[in-house]
Amino acid sequence: MKKFLVHTKSDYVGVAVDDVREGETVEGVYMDDGSTVKITSINQIPLGHKIALKDIKRGEKVIEYGEPIGVATQDIKMGSHVHIHNIKSLRWGNLS
Amino acid sequence: MTTIQGFERENGKVGTRNYVLIIPLDDLSNAAALGVESLVYGTRAIPHPYGRLQFGSDLELLFKTLSGMGRNPNVAAAVVIGIEDNWTQKVADRIAETGKPVEAISIEGKGDLKTIEKAARTAKSMVQAASEKKRREFDISSLVISTKCGESDTTSGLASNPTVGVLYDRLVEEGATLLLGETSELTGAEHYIANKMATPQLREKFMKIFNDYTQEITRHGADLLGSQPTQGNIKGGLSTIEEKALGNVQKAGKSKFMDVLDYAEEPTKKGLNYMNTSSAAAECVTLFAAAGAVVHIFTTGQGNIIGNPIVPVIKISANPKTVSTMSEHIDLDVSGLLRLEYDLNEAANRLYNLLVSTASGRLTANEILRHFEFVPTKLYISA
Repeated sequence: MKKFLVHTKSDYVGVAVDDVREGETVEGVYMDDGSTVKITSINQIPLGHKIALKDIKRGEKVIEYGEPIGVATQDIKMGSHVHIHNIKSLRWGNLS
Repeated sequence: MTTIQGFERENGKVGTRNYVLIIPLDDLSNAAALGVESLVYGTRAIPHPYGRLQFGSDLELLFKTLSGMGRNPNVAAAVVIGIEDNWTQKVADRIAETGKPVEAISIEGKGDLKTIEKAARTAKSMVQAASEKKRREFDISSLVISTKCGESDTTSGLASNPTVGVLYDRLVEEGATLLLGETSELTGAEHYIANKMATPQLREKFMKIFNDYTQEITRHGADLLGSQPTQGNIKGGLSTIEEKALGNVQKAGKSKFMDVLDYAEEPTKKGLNYMNTSSAAAECVTLFAAAGAVVHIFTTGQGNIIGNPIVPVIKISANPKTVSTMSEHIDLDVSGLLRLEYDLNEAANRLYNLLVSTASGRLTANEILRHFEFVPTKLYISA
């Protein structure tokens, strides 16, 4: 079974469609062209959460749906769990 | 051509339900309205905490919301109960413009019990008359349909929202009137909606609504981080408002927006319409209901259980955990999309069939479980 889906070929993250164990090698599908990709997860990733498809540098915009969904607040390694601990909004949250 | 079995109203509009609505004008009139509802079969009361010392555009929006609920084609007749007669009559008059039976009853000078007796006698006759109205066949293009997502997660953007997008495109082609809103939850995807406006004037009108909203947040020295995404969204894997917004706008489909509407404004254009709304579920669905939506399609990830007193709310989810742990609230399970068991067209076909049967009388989960949230939007403080 495919364990994650990716909106577009240009995305930096995939979305887990089942719980993914740490160290598990999982296959994902790009929804725009149906091609597949394999990634080894370096964290536990719950259903609905994101997995990094490439290394992302701190300060780099994170792309999903082919659009920026925020910026990396630390270096993110391929296979990492991507969430509020390592990315933040470019729009809100700049008050503090 | 697809048809539904609906109720025709005096002004030619088509409803999917046939209620006699008991509308309290203000907080003080809730007790009487609920009293009538408990006495008279077939009535529905919509209690709320407002209606006293409101002023300006905030008062006008309350009038528009209350009269809009009464005007909605899912309502056969209405009784408006208020503490004093002037504002009560005002709301009743706007409902009467549709040609449907309506009566205004005020409490001052008689007290709750005489008010309840008078209103209950009126409501009883209205229910009897409404019960003689028969469903008959109408083209699906006669429907006004709205959509909103709630307790979203990444499965909403992957599956349930794009399913609504495909459905909306089909309904646009078939000539129905479609509503979409949620101004705050467009942050990060506002350009996407702006680019779908049919004319530069509409684009400007939409951007003004969006920018006014953003300014309102900053005017309070506030920031929506902590509120958007919500804790439920974050648990479901959504990390930022941009990610949530990009998932949200999948519901719009590929069609152009033909008009941009203010809060609770009745649409006049067929096809896709943008309405300025809050993104809070009950407030948003209430505004759509007050604008005349007769069926609402609600996508959820983590499991929002909202309903509305007069509009059936079809719940659709693609989250395999939610459809299993909260199955009693979900009308359509599209989690198979995540397992690639079927495609978006197939999911949209299933939703289309459910829409047709719901419009024709099939009860939704929210109706059976009595989720009748009615929440008027309040724009600012009262006097």
